[in-house]
Amino acid sequence: MTVLAATMTMFRNLRFALNSAWQSFWRNLAVSLAAVLSITLILVLAGVNLLVGHALSQVLDGFREKVSVISINVADGTPLPSVYDFQQRLSTDRRVASVRFITKEQALANFTADPNNAVLAQQLDGNPLDAKLEVKVKALADVAAIDTVARQWSGVDPSNPTNYQGDFVNRMLQLSQWLGLAGVGLLAILVVVSVVIVMNTIRTAVYHRRKEIEVMKLVGATEWFVRGPFVIEGVMTGLIAASIALALLVIAYPPAVAQFRSDIAFIPLSYDPTFISSLARDLLLGGALLGALGSYIGVRRYVRL
Amino acid sequence: MAFGASGGMRYTARDLANRALRRNTSQQEIQLMVLTPDFDSRPVISFQHVWKTYPTGTEALRDINLVVPEGDFLFLVGPSGAGKSTLVRLLIREEKPTKGKIFVEGIELGRMKRRKLPYYRRKIGLVFQDFKLLPNLTVYENVAFALRVLGEPDRLVQSRAAEALDTVGLAGKEQTYPSNLSGGEQQRVAIARALVHAPRMIIADEPTGNLDPATAWEIMQLFLRINSRGATVVMATHNREIVDLLRRRVIAIDAGQIARDDRSGRYHDDVSKPQIRAQ
Repeated sequence: MTVLAATMTMFRNLRFALNSAWQSFWRNLAVSLAAVLSITLILVLAGVNLLVGHALSQVLDGFREKVSVISINVADGTPLPSVYDFQQRLSTDRRVASVRFITKEQALANFTADPNNAVLAQQLDGNPLDAKLEVKVKALADVAAIDTVARQWSGVDPSNPTNYQGDFVNRMLQLSQWLGLAGVGLLAILVVVSVVIVMNTIRTAVYHRRKEIEVMKLVGATEWFVRGPFVIEGVMTGLIAASIALALLVIAYPPAVAQFRSDIAFIPLSYDPTFISSLARDLLLGGALLGALGSYIGVRRYVRL
Repeated sequence: MAFGASGGMRYTARDLANRALRRNTSQQEIQLMVLTPDFDSRPVISFQHVWKTYPTGTEALRDINLVVPEGDFLFLVGPSGAGKSTLVRLLIREEKPTKGKIFVEGIELGRMKRRKLPYYRRKIGLVFQDFKLLPNLTVYENVAFALRVLGEPDRLVQSRAAEALDTVGLAGKEQTYPSNLSGGEQQRVAIARALVHAPRMIIADEPTGNLDPATAWEIMQLFLRINSRGATVVMATHNREIVDLLRRRVIAIDAGQIARDDRSGRYHDDVSKPQIRAQ
């Protein structure tokens, strides 16, 4: 067989599979809808999981942003070249994102500018505040190391070297790790449960059509020829379910965020429209894979020659 | 009669003709004999000491030796449960032999790879008692199905399916659904499907089992016509009238063994032995 002929045969087989998948979806509408429904429910759960995970990581990112900045207090009387020198050293460090020098005057100005400090500021005599080096560290895990470097510097204020709170940062790190792990675990459970449900739904659909499969095998259909339409139907089912799940989530997402913010104001949850596109991609891909895998496994018992 | 088992004896056309002429055969029967093609050719099917024991322990076939030359028309007869269906299932490789070898056109079925099986099935045409038509496809679609599976181009599918339906006398019923057809018509559709890809061998399991005598005879005419075009036909049947009238090769199976192999036999070798009668 020439390459062209083989390609043509493959193309015809694909067209046949697409046609029969489409026909059988509508012919067995009740079973198809059952499959769509179960995949939709699973994808809604998965989508909620992804959205909650995303929201939490947004909140965590906010916290991280805050704690990844460490202020190094400069002792009074430290010569300016020494400060600049240290600033230079820090900014060449690979772990550091940026370093900002805040003079005593700027520190005082910042302090008095904050309305919360108004009363205190009036009672200030002179300028008790230290000049500061505000270091933004790239990774949260490196803050401790930068803190150690700072404490070893000769120009640091010995009575109050930095604002680093090791415990808090470590806990934050642990929490975010646990949350990430819990999300992954939940998603894994959902995947297993959904594959089982989809597999059984599709096995029911296949059971109704076992006679058709038997005839296909008797007239000499290859295993993939028999399987093709079912797998394509599974992908179709998955994509329809994903679209429904996505629509439900997109509609429910903004009001849910608004409700959350009015109830628990101190957690800075926000609506993130850019996440929708990545959610859409994940759900459609997940739905298609789920449908295909469920069909593949569901049909296997009947297809084997 | 033990021929073919040790590879010594073979059917020949002359042999058969002599047999037919020695007996006082009717003109019609001789006509049918003459239509049967070359008996000198190599065997298409050969069973060599084939045993089949099911996992339940049932010994369905015991030491079957059988040679079928190209163009043969052979009836498998015997009571229900004798092993006819097992023999058919072995031939279409729905089952593998427990012991022994089965060759079809030089391929050993027991050792054939699973992925080769579809290509083997394409060489044979299958007809069953229960027709095995797809109820949600029209007559045309059912016949075309066997060609679609092969990935044949549309134009070829259309012309071949139309031709096959014409052969079985169902032209004009293309768009009908099987449920609207009589049993005989449904079996014709099944036969059209079995021959649409021009197989060299037709295997039929009780093809007239669900049909009234007149319809059964019409269906048999179709098989004879297919055979006269050169295809080997293996048919398991309970239909005594047809076997006795056609006087083709008859292999009687009883309790998993070949009890009789007559080159132009009857359903019962002796009418005084009613115990072989079909149940």
